[in-house]
Amino acid sequence: MHLLSQLLGRPVRGETNVPLGTLDDLVIRMEEGPYPSVTGLVVRAGRRRFFVPANQLRELSGVALLSSARVDLKQFQRREDEVLLGRDVLDHQIIDIAGHRVVRVNDIQITQVDANFRVVGVDTSLKAIVRRAGPRALADRIVGGQIIDWADLHYLAGTAPVRLKVSYDRLAELHPVDLARIVDALSLRESATIVAALDDETVAETLEEVSDSRLADLIEGMDQERAADILEEMDPGVAADVLEDLDDTVAEQLLAKMEPEEAAEIQTVLAYDEDSVGRIMITEIVRVAEGSTVGAALALLRSLDDVPNPLLAVYVVEQDQPETLRGIVRLRSLILADPATPLQELMDEDMPTIHPDAPAEQAARLLAEYNLLALPVIDDEEHLVGVVTVDDALAVLMPEIWQRRSSRMFH
Amino acid sequence: MKTPDRTLALPRDGQATGRPKPSLRARLLLMMAVVGPGIITANVDNDAGGITTYSVAGAHYGYSLLWMLGLVALALIIIQEMSARLGVVTGKGLADLIRERMGIRATLAIVGVLLIANLANTVSEFAGVAASMEIFGISKFISVPIVAVGVWLLIVKGSYKFVERIFLVASALYLTYVVSGIMANPPWAEVLQASVTPTFHFDSNYIIIVVTIIGTTIAPWMQFYQQASIVDKGLRVEDYAYERLDVIIGSVFAVVIAAFITIACAATLFKHGLQIETAKDAALGLGPLAGSNAAALFALGLLNASVFSAAILPLSTAYVVCEALGWEAGVNRNLKEAPVFFGVYTALIVLGAGIILLPIKSLIQAMLASQTLNGVLLPVILIAMLVLINDRELMGDYVNGRIFNIISWAMVVVLIGLTALLVITSVFPNFLT
Repeated sequence: MHLLSQLLGRPVRGETNVPLGTLDDLVIRMEEGPYPSVTGLVVRAGRRRFFVPANQLRELSGVALLSSARVDLKQFQRREDEVLLGRDVLDHQIIDIAGHRVVRVNDIQITQVDANFRVVGVDTSLKAIVRRAGPRALADRIVGGQIIDWADLHYLAGTAPVRLKVSYDRLAELHPVDLARIVDALSLRESATIVAALDDETVAETLEEVSDSRLADLIEGMDQERAADILEEMDPGVAADVLEDLDDTVAEQLLAKMEPEEAAEIQTVLAYDEDSVGRIMITEIVRVAEGSTVGAALALLRSLDDVPNPLLAVYVVEQDQPETLRGIVRLRSLILADPATPLQELMDEDMPTIHPDAPAEQAARLLAEYNLLALPVIDDEEHLVGVVTVDDALAVLMPEIWQRRSSRMFH
Repeated sequence: MKTPDRTLALPRDGQATGRPKPSLRARLLLMMAVVGPGIITANVDNDAGGITTYSVAGAHYGYSLLWMLGLVALALIIIQEMSARLGVVTGKGLADLIRERMGIRATLAIVGVLLIANLANTVSEFAGVAASMEIFGISKFISVPIVAVGVWLLIVKGSYKFVERIFLVASALYLTYVVSGIMANPPWAEVLQASVTPTFHFDSNYIIIVVTIIGTTIAPWMQFYQQASIVDKGLRVEDYAYERLDVIIGSVFAVVIAAFITIACAATLFKHGLQIETAKDAALGLGPLAGSNAAALFALGLLNASVFSAAILPLSTAYVVCEALGWEAGVNRNLKEAPVFFGVYTALIVLGAGIILLPIKSLIQAMLASQTLNGVLLPVILIAMLVLINDRELMGDYVNGRIFNIISWAMVVVLIGLTALLVITSVFPNFLT
């Protein structure tokens, strides 16, 4: 096991111990496997920097020993997909996927696997800084550190001055909350690169958890067509909040680029005050006509293209007036009942409802008092316009969740 | 395609077709969105230490140092422009770049000195709070703790847009110094002549004040702060023209304020031969000579500047430390996630405010020393900036031009020379005589 900081600047010798120069850097290629292999050395001799391919490297401890003394002294020129470990990785930021953090590379671990030298991990500990800052003679005495496996890291494509193909698969698998934490911790430009590489749905879910100002900056900075696509994927309430944070003209342009249906939904939400029930309710609910059976309701659910998530209940409405609520059948009752049972027998008719203009906090309180999972929202015309779920209400009750989302400061 | 079934807000002015040249209104809006970092940064540097320095310069040397301010403005513009360009092109903060391009040892050295200098600066901000409130008859044991807690809460609980707006409004409050200067009724012809007539004395007090003026007007930490706020605002190369204007306006504004502070003290205190050591002395001295309104305005300006800087400095420092060494940072993190960030931020405020409340007599020396430390650190930061901005791999076509490089390197050499003179004269006071 070698540490990059202890290799750089060390002598490079050829066969028969001919001194050739000092080790300036190590070249790696990113795309091959979880542990990139060292493809060559950059050796410095005087003002000249030249490249030695890794197959000439025999030993890498204290001195770098080559298998021959013949080297090509042509000035080193970086090729498109080459990353320099010392210049482009050491001291740079990198994403610790497992820890969902952004860390700085204080040292790099290299190990010999068969004939290849491979990068296996990075040290992010304070110890590594002390080891590198102190005199070289004492460096060996500072052992240990906090090593993160290279396979658990995501190298930021913008870090090296070359075009790199970096896989975003592992990042895309993260929970949106964890990914949002990373997006918040990176600089705006780097977070924009990540957002640009992920699909609309992942981005929408992630951005719902990102701080308000970062969210507005990212949306404003991206192509308007893409921004519109992402807003469509978002919860209309969150999308409305985003649009309100943007410049009016930009917000209008984005709305115009969205699918009319989604835009209309957001505009409906925008009509309600911030912190009102209208803002946090979900409008996607399943309405079943009065007189249906359990079996018919289940069949309806299965036939839907877009099933609301979370799905807590179905709403029984009047036969020819789908706006008028008759009662609620909870998912639990629906699943347990015999398919032939009419919904009327299962439905709850006497439940609290709330007005869309009421404060969101009041909805949260009702949900808690009545032990409900969802609360129907009924407007002035006695129309069912949506429901407030316990999920959405929780965020209202727990201010620290909002505080996290509130804002970033300059730094 | 689905047909729209409800009314939609459509873009006005037919902007949906193609992308016409932005209208004047659109350009003004864009400019308003970009402006901020330059103006705020330039103003923060007219902080309590700065006001003290300009007051002392005016009271002891009259108008004779005014000529220097023109050069200082030029230097300020050159340096802040580079800092803005670094931020706009790389999208990274200065501490970030130093760490990535110059290695761990340079980073530790710079961050270490910056930490000490910024603690000293924070102490001097709270000294400014204490002094200005005492002029209004409020004890420092009341004013300093209130401001410390207020500043801490504003930053930790407030939103950036809100704070930036407050800061832009506070920038306007600096105009109180222009009013104070005019109320002092200076002989304008003499002021104008002194502004364009270079003079120089080889005595150590004079050199100290010269280096201190430079050190306080072009403070090291400003480079970190301005670049960071540009990066955080997400400004890009396309916004650069506006950002440069922001920098120029801010720099000129800051130096004009500095000139009026000097003029106010020169027209009154210098004329009557009053020696002062602090900005408080200056405000008190102004009272009988230029009227109590002028003194009150002077004190109000000092309070504004001190609070303004006491809010920004500790925060900027905490970000720099965490950015350079790789700890999580940001006021939207919680204490468990970013302990070092909140630790440094809180410690600077607590120490800064706490030291002022201790019964130490030589605070003025400490304040001046902090400004001198700035002057010594500045060349180091400038060299780092020049190395970075000339790094073609980093900056592409946005590296410095040849002439720009000659001017900026010459400036660094002059600054290093002045700093060296300062160090020598403080060790051997009779070196120059």
